Amino acid sequence: MKQILSFTLNGEQVDLVVKPTETLLDVLRERLNFTGMKRGCDDGDCGTCTVLINGEPVRSCLTLALTAAGKDVVTIEGVAKDGKLHPIQKAFMDNGAVQCGFCTPAMVLVAKALLDKNPHPTRHDVVYYMSGNLCRCGCYDEIVDAVLAVANGKVKEA
Amino acid sequence: MAEYNYIGASLPRYDGEGRVTGKTVYVDDVIKPGMLYVKVFRSPVHKGVVKNIDASETLKVPGVAGIVTGKDVPGVNVGWFGDVPVFAETIRYQGQVVAGVVAVDEDTAAEGVAKLKVDIEEQTPVFDMFEAIKPGAPLVDPAAKSNYFEGWPKGNTFKMVLGDVEQGFKEADYIVEGDYSEGVQDHASMEPHASVAYLDEAGRLCVHTTSQCLAFQLRSLMAIFNRPLSKMRYIGGVVGGGFGGKNEIHTDHIAGVAALKFGKPIKYRETRREDLRFSTKRGAWVFHFKDGVTKDGRLVARYVEHWHDSGAYNTFSSYGIEKGSMFLSGPYWIPNILIEGHLVLTNKPVSSSMRGYTSSNGQYASEVQMTKIAQKLGMDPWELRFINAWRDGDLGASRYKVLGAGSIEAMKKTAELAGIKLPEHLMQLSSRRR
Amino acid sequence: MQDVSYFAPTEVSQAVKLLAEHGKKATVLAGGTDVMPKINYYELKPEVLVYIGGLGLDYIKAEGGQLVIGAGTPIAKLLESDLVAKQAPSLVEAARQHSSVAIRSVGTIGGNVAHASPAADLVYPLMAMDAKLKLVSAKGERLVAIEAFFTGPGETILGADELLTEIQIPAAKGKAVYGKLGKRKAQACSIVIVGVRLELDGKVCRAARVALGSMAPTPLRCAKAEALLVGKTVDAALVAQAAAAAVGESSPIDDVRATAWYRRKAGTALVARALAQAAGL
Repeated sequence: MKQILSFTLNGEQVDLVVKPTETLLDVLRERLNFTGMKRGCDDGDCGTCTVLINGEPVRSCLTLALTAAGKDVVTIEGVAKDGKLHPIQKAFMDNGAVQCGFCTPAMVLVAKALLDKNPHPTRHDVVYYMSGNLCRCGCYDEIVDAVLAVANGKVKEA
Repeated sequence: MAEYNYIGASLPRYDGEGRVTGKTVYVDDVIKPGMLYVKVFRSPVHKGVVKNIDASETLKVPGVAGIVTGKDVPGVNVGWFGDVPVFAETIRYQGQVVAGVVAVDEDTAAEGVAKLKVDIEEQTPVFDMFEAIKPGAPLVDPAAKSNYFEGWPKGNTFKMVLGDVEQGFKEADYIVEGDYSEGVQDHASMEPHASVAYLDEAGRLCVHTTSQCLAFQLRSLMAIFNRPLSKMRYIGGVVGGGFGGKNEIHTDHIAGVAALKFGKPIKYRETRREDLRFSTKRGAWVFHFKDGVTKDGRLVARYVEHWHDSGAYNTFSSYGIEKGSMFLSGPYWIPNILIEGHLVLTNKPVSSSMRGYTSSNGQYASEVQMTKIAQKLGMDPWELRFINAWRDGDLGASRYKVLGAGSIEAMKKTAELAGIKLPEHLMQLSSRRR
Repeated sequence: MQDVSYFAPTEVSQAVKLLAEHGKKATVLAGGTDVMPKINYYELKPEVLVYIGGLGLDYIKAEGGQLVIGAGTPIAKLLESDLVAKQAPSLVEAARQHSSVAIRSVGTIGGNVAHASPAADLVYPLMAMDAKLKLVSAKGERLVAIEAFFTGPGETILGADELLTEIQIPAAKGKAVYGKLGKRKAQACSIVIVGVRLELDGKVCRAARVALGSMAPTPLRCAKAEALLVGKTVDAALVAQAAAAAVGESSPIDDVRATAWYRRKAGTALVARALAQAAGL
């Protein structure tokens, strides 16, 4: 039986009617047309669907939409503010951390969650925190470099 | 020296901002009003003949628009290189697509697939290449004489000859042989296979594709859809990783057939599990190497017999044998070479290109051979490679003349980066002359 | 398409009432990391979904000398807790090597235990520490030893009307060590898991626990290995003997992750390493 789901998406209230088996990823991509987060596996393995719920990285493909009720969800669409790129986004572009780009939105979000908690991570900290997000193009080193560049204050505002 | 604005400069990627903000539109991000979704029925058996498809229960599921089968293909029911059917009527591998169910969403389409009754007369499959080439083995292609590809001048053997290996082996002081095999690998691109197809306001069939080779595939699709180029729009270029896995038609043809049948926008995407289990792979390859070497470390002869597991269809695997053969000498000057390659069909998913297609296959085998040779000769493995490395003007296995040889310089650089000091007599050597 | 009901009770009493009413038709959902892939791939077609994230089972406290962890506690919280670090460091190590950030943020310790895969990493430190599980139904509650909980791969003694609500870990005695072998360092479904604990009097072993994972249909307590250790001076030779005995009691299989042959070899090394560490060798 369908139920009403209310939650906050990138700072704005969203209300819609959902089926109990719909996932948060289904709601974001298919219902709200927020296609920044990707559907890479529906198994929780690849990480391309990872959003922030109350500041924590969560697999939206493994989140039953109704369980997100009342929570604060942030997707890639909520990272740049008023058209201005976040330093992490700029750092990814400047450090060769983007090839096909499919893993990128989730990588940016998880990096943001890390730096919001720990503004000065070591390389090991970054690798440990981000190892749940896969990249098949081979950008891992560049992604870590980009995150550390932001942590080390090396990224000028876009 | 002129100063350049762009040459030598590091420039921002023109489409980088779209990728870091999630604005870039990948195929699965394309959404059209009234779009319907396809889920497919895949053969549960490895080999057989489809006798009947009964969709009566499927069509009763609310939200199901209908099904698509081989009967709905307007042109030819073959994909790529006149080989893989769009919808199989005879099954050659488990997971092969027999029919599609089109519905308002994927859950409904999946329910429709679960209710489809497909009668398949099961037959005996063969999975191992060496079982498949035994006389009397079940035929993967019922119209063929054997499970070998037989289309070369020498029938089932592709031959590449340089010099005279028998003479070369006579000149050798040592013979080193080895058997090597490489297993199946998946590309596992972060973006699974997907297509969106619809008729636009000018009556053109538009297909959004993840293809790595639009020009090749468009020709096949025109034959499948029976449409001239003026009635097609093939939209691609945004690919979430291909690595050779998007050189074959996976979903475009089925989405297009459904769009033509129902007159609605259609999205067809594979799940990750379907992609991993049933889509194209880097196929298995088996090598037998026989090398002849003199006591001062010169390779004088190499014979390689190799077998590539094509899976259920050739598509371009015979080209894979042809091209792969010329790399089996490694980057080494060997005056006498005989390569004999075979392509074998088996009842498994289709083998295809993947990262360094044919140029990486067999290289580990070639390098292990070099290590074994060095051990047999009691020679430094660096020295063995320096001695035999191509110089400019040497001939490769397919008799092409090597230009711009570089493995000696690469080895010197590698040693430097690894903190290894190579002996002076090796440091004197160059790719420019022997 | 079948209609699915969704409930989000706010009290355990409401949750167990729903389970009593719907029995086997109910699917309990916490973090969803084990259940959702099955729903996404239509392997599980739920009829009644009971979301237990709102039951207040997310807690870590000291109670009666024990470390008490609510079954709904996300694995990430185990990593952040000073109490767990002090009382059960081997559980912290298991949590640290578990999956990845986005799974740990919602995946729960109760889910890891109740899903009952022989590869459930958190089970092994719990077994080594003699943990007890609180199972609650509308009829009452029972406390069971964790080693009595598992009956087969994915199967437990949990009734259709019962909910795992709490894990109780007695005060730490001796030293407990966790070991894991996976194909990679994150998101690795374990090939072999080890949870050991030794209570030593000088160099003499007074009590031993050796738990082996991914080596049998259920989590395995290696009684022969434990008996070998008790009352003896623990040295490298005894450790090697005990490791061999532990693996000898297991029944590993060939699967996509590893062969039985490899599991035996790797398991022997892993048990030996963990016992040596527990004995301070």
